[in-house]
Amino acid sequence: MTTTLNRPSASAHSAPKRALIERLNIFTALALGVISAVVVWRLALQFLPQDSEEAIFFNREDKITLLSMIAWFIGFMVGIGALIGPFRWVMGKDLSHDENMFYAGKDLGVKRYFRYTTDHKVVGIQYLVVTVVIFFIGGVLAMLIRTNLGNPEGGWIHPQAYNAIVGTHGIVMIVATIIMVTGPFGNFIMPIMIGARDMAFPRLNALSLWLIVAAAAPILWGLAIGGISTGWTAYNPLASQAPLGQNGYIMFICIFAISTMVAGANITTTVIRMRAKGMTWNRTPIFIYGVVASVALALPAFPVFFLSQIMSAMDRAIGTSFYDAQHGGSGWLYENLFWLMGHPEVYVILIPAVAALMEMAPVFTRNPLFSFNLAVIGIAGISGLSALVWAHHMYMSGWAPLLNIPFMLTTELISIPTGMLFLVLIGTLWRGRLWVTMPMASVFALLWNFMIGGVTGIYLSDIPADAFLHGSMYVTAHFHYTLMGAGLTGAIAALVFWFPKMTGRIFDAKLSWISFWMVQIGFQIAFIGMFLVGLAGQPRRVEGYAETFNTGNMVTTGGAYLIMAGMLVLLYALIHSWMNGEKASMNPWHSKTLEWTVANPIPLENFDVLPTVTTDAYGYGKEIR
Amino acid sequence: MSLNETGAKQTTWWKKKDVKQTALIWVIVTPIIGYVATEVQVRSMGAPASEIMASTINLMRIFTWAAAPVAGLVFAMSATVLLSKSFYGDTPPPEAEIGYRNSPRANALWVAVSALLCLFALVVGMVAVQKDSASLTDATAMEIKVTGQQWVWSYDYTGGSGVRSDVLYLPVNKPVVFHVTSVDVKHSFWIVQMGIKIDANPGYITETAVTPNKIGVFDVRCAELCGLLHAYMQNKVHVVSQADYDAWIKAQSKLEAATA
Repeated sequence: MTTTLNRPSASAHSAPKRALIERLNIFTALALGVISAVVVWRLALQFLPQDSEEAIFFNREDKITLLSMIAWFIGFMVGIGALIGPFRWVMGKDLSHDENMFYAGKDLGVKRYFRYTTDHKVVGIQYLVVTVVIFFIGGVLAMLIRTNLGNPEGGWIHPQAYNAIVGTHGIVMIVATIIMVTGPFGNFIMPIMIGARDMAFPRLNALSLWLIVAAAAPILWGLAIGGISTGWTAYNPLASQAPLGQNGYIMFICIFAISTMVAGANITTTVIRMRAKGMTWNRTPIFIYGVVASVALALPAFPVFFLSQIMSAMDRAIGTSFYDAQHGGSGWLYENLFWLMGHPEVYVILIPAVAALMEMAPVFTRNPLFSFNLAVIGIAGISGLSALVWAHHMYMSGWAPLLNIPFMLTTELISIPTGMLFLVLIGTLWRGRLWVTMPMASVFALLWNFMIGGVTGIYLSDIPADAFLHGSMYVTAHFHYTLMGAGLTGAIAALVFWFPKMTGRIFDAKLSWISFWMVQIGFQIAFIGMFLVGLAGQPRRVEGYAETFNTGNMVTTGGAYLIMAGMLVLLYALIHSWMNGEKASMNPWHSKTLEWTVANPIPLENFDVLPTVTTDAYGYGKEIR
Repeated sequence: MSLNETGAKQTTWWKKKDVKQTALIWVIVTPIIGYVATEVQVRSMGAPASEIMASTINLMRIFTWAAAPVAGLVFAMSATVLLSKSFYGDTPPPEAEIGYRNSPRANALWVAVSALLCLFALVVGMVAVQKDSASLTDATAMEIKVTGQQWVWSYDYTGGSGVRSDVLYLPVNKPVVFHVTSVDVKHSFWIVQMGIKIDANPGYITETAVTPNKIGVFDVRCAELCGLLHAYMQNKVHVVSQADYDAWIKAQSKLEAATA
C-alpha cells in the first residue's frame, strides 16, 4: 500500500521530518478511512446503549452507521493529507517554498494524480476522472431502472432495491452534473483563461476535490445497507423511516455541501482577484461568468441543504422531530429547505454548461459573441431569480396555497433571461462561417433540447397544468431535457473542446461524432416517450405501471439503450484519445482566449510572464460596432 | 451572399436572402410545430372527466401555440445557418467579414416579445387558478375525507352518511371537495382524468375540489414516492348517476351496520 516514494531529486533537499507526510496518498487515505470506520463501528457496537422501548425506528443502528461514516470521512481526509497545511501552521512551521512546490506536484509525474496535489491542473484532471466515474455509476443505475421498466410483465428487481436504485441514480447524477463543468473545466481551464498561475486557495482546491471522493463512499456503502429508497429529494417523514442506507445520503450530502461551498469560495475569489492585468469585466470571457454564477449560486444554496440533512440525521438518530408533524415538526419545513437549495441547484448545473457553449460558438462560427452584455444580464438574471422560485416544486403540497401565484410569477419571469441566452447563441450563429465540429453540433443540440426543456418548464410552472403534471413522468422527462439534453450536452462539448489543452491530444473526432448522434437520437426517443407516458398519467418513481403505458415505456427503454451505447463509445473515445490520440498543437481551434496561449504540456505555473489583456476574446471579423 | 459593407445604404435587412429564407422556414414550421406538439400532447392526455381537466388541456393547447412561433424562429434561424456554406477539416474557416457584436433593435424586440409572452402565460394561469379555486368554497359541494396510508387510499363520506370505503364513488355533475390527509408519510392524491392533485401530508389537511362531469371509471394514483409499494398505491374512482350513487351509499351503510 504505502511504498516508499522513489524521488531522488526532491528528497535531496527535503528534511527527514517531512518524509512521513510526503508518503500520504489515496491508498493511505483509503486504509486510514477504512480502519477508522471499523474501529469506531466496533466501539459504537460495544458501548452505545440499547434503544428504549418507545423507539419507533432503529435509532441505535442509525447512530452506529452515522458514527462509522463520520470516522471514515475523518480518517480518509487525514490519510490523504488534507490537514498537513493547517497542522504545520498551528505548529508554527508553515510550508516552505520547496514544500509548497512539492505539494503542487512538481516532479512527481503520474503520482501527483493520486495525492493531495494543489496544482489546479492536477485537480482539474482529478475532477474529470471523478466526474466520469460518477457518471458511469449513475448511468449503470439508469440502465437498471430502464431495463426494469422496459418489461411490461413486471419488474425483475425487488421494489425495495428498485427504489434504492432510483434514489441513488438521482443523487449521483445530480452531483455528477453539478461538478461536470465547474469541476474539470472550472479548475483546469478557468485560471489559465483569466491569466492566473493557480487558484486563489490551492489547498482548498485540493480539499474540495478530495471531499467529493470521501463523500462517494457513504453512497456506495448505503447501497449495501438498504440504499436511498426515498428518491433524490429524500422527503421527510419518508426519509426517517427509510432503511439504514439513508444515512449514506445524509453523510454524502453533508460532505458534498462542504466541498461545494469550499469550491465556490475559491473560484469566486480567484475570478474576482486574480484576473490578468487589463482583463476588465467587459473583457472577461463569458465562460468565466457562467462558472462564477454557478458557484456563487451554490454558496447560499448548499449550506441550507447541509442543515436540512443535519436535521434529518437528528430526526433519525436522536429522535428529534424537526420534520415530524405528530411532534411539532413539519414535513413542509424539509421541503422548503430542500428546494431552497434544489432550485438554484438546477441553474448551478445549467448555467456553466450553456456558458461553455457560448464560449465555443464564436470559435466555431468565426463570429463575435453576439451581445455579450445580454449574455451577462441573462446569466445574472437567471441566477437572481432562481433564488426566488423554490416553492414552485410545492404548488401541490398544500403549503401556503396563496403563495402559489407569486411563485408562478417569479418562475415564469425566468423565461425572459433564459430567452436572452437563446438570442445570444442564435445571434452568434447567425451569418457565421460554420466550422463543422462536434462541439459546434452541440450548440444546435442545446438549442433544440433546451427549447423543449424550457417550454415544458413553462407548462409545469403554470399551477393548473402542474396540478395534472406534477409528480408524473412528464416532470422527469422535463428535467432530463434541461439537465442532460442541455447541461450534459454542453459538458461533453466542453470536454472535446478543451481536451487538447488538458491532455495535449486531440479528441477522436470520428468517435465523438458517432457518440454525438447516438446519444442525441437515443435521447429524443427516450424522453419524448417519457413525456407521453407522463401526459397519459404515469407517476414518476414507479416500479410497475398500468398496461396503457407499456408502449411508451418500451420506447423509452429502447432510447435509453441507444444513449448507453453512445456513452460507451464516448468513454472509449475518451480513453483511446487520452492514451494515443493525435498530438495537439498549442491552439488547434484557433481560439482567442488565454488558455490557448500556453504551451503543451502546460508549465507548472502556466505563464512565465503574466499576460496583459487589451481586448476581449471575441474579435472575429471586422468590427462594425 | 455577399454584403456590401462600405455601401452607405445596404440592402434593407428584410430583403436579404438569408432573412427571407429564415422567414419562409419560420412560416412553414411554426404551424407544424404548433399542430404536432399540441396534438401529440393533448391526445396523450386522454378525454377529460371534469371541467378542470378540460381547461388544463386547453391551457396546454394555448401555451403550445404561444411557444410555437418562438421555437419556430429558433428552428428557422438554426436551419438557415445549417444550410449556409459549411467548412470542414482541421483549419478554421476565414473569419466572418463583418463581426456583428450587437443589435440593440434585435435585443429590445426579443426581450419585449419574451416579456409579453411571459405576461400572457401569467395572466392565463392566474385566470385558471381563480376559476379552479372558486370551486373550493362551493357551499353546495359534498365533502369527502381522503386518507392516504402506505399503500392504500380510504374515503370517508362525511356528508351525513358516515360511510367509509376504499373505493371512491362520486355522483356525476355534483361538486365535491376533498379534505386530504395522511397517517404516515407524504402521499399525493391524484385523480388523473379529472386533472386534480393535492399532497396528503401527515398532520395536516389539504383541500382540492372538482365536479366530475362524465360517468365512467377513472384512475386515482399516488403521485409522491411513499415507499415500497408506491407504484401500486392506486385504485379507481367510479362516477355514477345520482340514483346509482344513492343506492351505493345505502348498500354501504347497510354493510357497515351489518359488520359493526
